[in-house]
Amino acid sequence: MPPILAEIAQLVVNGIMTGTILAVPAIGLTSIHAVLRFPNFAVASHATVGAFAGYVANVKLGLPVLPSVVLAFLVAGAVGVAADELVLKPFRAAGFITTAIASIALTIALENLVRFGFGNELRGYDLPIMRDWRLGGIRVGPQQLQNLAIAVAAMAALFAFLAFTRTGKAMRAVADNPMLASIKGINADVVARLVSFVGMGLAGLGGMLIGLDTTIDPLTGFRAILSVFAAAVVGGLGSIPGAVVGALTVGVGEELCLLFLSPDYRSAVGFTAILLVLTLRPRGILGQRAY
Amino acid sequence: MTRHHRIAISRRRFVQATGALAAGLAMPAIGRAQGAPLQLGILTPLTGAGGFDGPRMLKAMKAVIDEVNAAGGLIGRKVDLVIEDDQTNPEAAVRAARKLIDVSKVPVIMGTWASAVTSAVAPLCWESKTFLTTVSGADSITLLPHQGYLIRTQPNNHLQAGKHAEFIAASGAKRVFIMSIQAPFAQPTQRRASEVLKQKGSEMVGGLIYEKEKTTYRSEVDQALKTKPDLVYLNGYAPDVTVILRDLYRAGYAGPRFAQSYAVTGKVLDALPPEVTAGVITVQPSADIDSPAFGLAAKRTGIAEPDSYETQATDWASLVSLGIAKAKEATGTGLRDNVRKISQGSGTKVYSAVEGLKLLAEGKEINYEGASGPCDFTDIGDIIDCKFRYNKIENGKPVFLKIA
Repeated sequence: MPPILAEIAQLVVNGIMTGTILAVPAIGLTSIHAVLRFPNFAVASHATVGAFAGYVANVKLGLPVLPSVVLAFLVAGAVGVAADELVLKPFRAAGFITTAIASIALTIALENLVRFGFGNELRGYDLPIMRDWRLGGIRVGPQQLQNLAIAVAAMAALFAFLAFTRTGKAMRAVADNPMLASIKGINADVVARLVSFVGMGLAGLGGMLIGLDTTIDPLTGFRAILSVFAAAVVGGLGSIPGAVVGALTVGVGEELCLLFLSPDYRSAVGFTAILLVLTLRPRGILGQRAY
Repeated sequence: MTRHHRIAISRRRFVQATGALAAGLAMPAIGRAQGAPLQLGILTPLTGAGGFDGPRMLKAMKAVIDEVNAAGGLIGRKVDLVIEDDQTNPEAAVRAARKLIDVSKVPVIMGTWASAVTSAVAPLCWESKTFLTTVSGADSITLLPHQGYLIRTQPNNHLQAGKHAEFIAASGAKRVFIMSIQAPFAQPTQRRASEVLKQKGSEMVGGLIYEKEKTTYRSEVDQALKTKPDLVYLNGYAPDVTVILRDLYRAGYAGPRFAQSYAVTGKVLDALPPEVTAGVITVQPSADIDSPAFGLAAKRTGIAEPDSYETQATDWASLVSLGIAKAKEATGTGLRDNVRKISQGSGTKVYSAVEGLKLLAEGKEINYEGASGPCDFTDIGDIIDCKFRYNKIENGKPVFLKIA
């Protein structure tokens, strides 16, 4: 392979890896938006909560990675439901901007709770770090492949849940047309709790996946939230497949820009993508249909 | 009625008494001044982010001043320290500095730590002709129009980058790549390191500036390794250097890595498997442990190994004492004009304030050699030379290499 092609291929592979992990919390953000109709920035702190729940499971309790990931999902989901019931629900009557701002306050509060319990220092999971494999000149990390598999499996499970189960269909119905869904007798409160659980659970899972590849601290979620938000908006806020497409677009775009830009402009690419998409196609790449 | 009358009298008496007291205090003030203690200002972070270093610097300065007082004080007066907490906060620092300058009328303020605090306080100092000594490292500080009313004992970025490059070249590395976080020091560090590497027969084969707060730096690492470096200089902070160390390991890079010790802290070493950090070289400014001044500082403070901050504080108190003695007056301008006459040049080398005071009293020229380093200053108040401590990480623990 000519060096430039190898370089592009490597960047695309890196982008897909980052994008797939970004997609998980982006799906959480977008599905909450689809049902509850506000951008829930507390996804950031729930990613952190998930990362620390996974840390406790993996390092303190000595569990292997897979059960720890499940625990990260469950704990972040449970915190998500509680936080939504106690904090965000009372704000929803006041409109989506108020609720979105409340979610920013919530995310700062939760982040500081984590800081209170665990301190500010960096922590790592109990994982051996393996050297990357080289496949035809392309470098791929075993840990990244595992993360990729976990992310894909989580997304597949979510799609199956939405497509084939009654509850999943109810969620889509509320997302599509809340009025019609309520006439049909679907309990919007139950669906709201469910979507908070699944959405924030995915955020927590995403947080742990980020941490598996790096280290964690109370700012883990906050650092990722801008890219997650970019992914959800580019794909079409409210569209679950859109979140995946958006995350891959942002992930690969941020990497490919390194061909002609210095790495310190990376984030600018994500936000230029948001501007372009909002200008040319305000509904996002895949529009705003939930599924 | 009687009661009112009594109150009226007592109020009058109170006013009279107060007036008398005020007059009594004010009148002989000039007469008493000769014996009054000489007040020196300390403005250091006792709380906030600098709260770990401030109290220790304060202790070191007090120890020197106690020794000076025991030897008879300065220009015939006992020395008193007026201590203010800057709270590592520019706004609080400015208020405290105003108090030191306007109320206590100190000739010198010693001890600012954060660059933001020093940048805020420095203009008050040069406007009021008050001398300022600091540990803040930002290059911009000595570039302020301070007219000589400022010295710092901390190596600035330019000196650090140059020293790092000298060490790297001497370690045998010929092809060096520098990965810097997006920060004000990134470009100056790369520029200076590149210059010095070239002078020493090595080469900076490339450098990049990365964004902070990214979850991965794989592509940045690829860019670095494409240049086939035999040493990678990680010029960032702990969160990003941790990620890059992992990514370098994963990419199969086994060569030496070089970083500031604040980026490879004990917590970082705990968070990473030992094989990832093995062989990393860390650097930090160091006290001059071979200097007799260092031994004296250790004895004076009762600390076995005073660190860079404690020794710098020792040197401020010593330089200021000697500067006042040389100027024969306790003013900021006197200090500005005399500090270099006692800190550098061909005079007899002295390693403590008391030793220097004795020689000055005999009319001799002196050259103070400090516990933190030689304490020789450029025209803009930067130190010309200082020592650095190098460690190598083995099995997840820093192992002492050398101080040079």
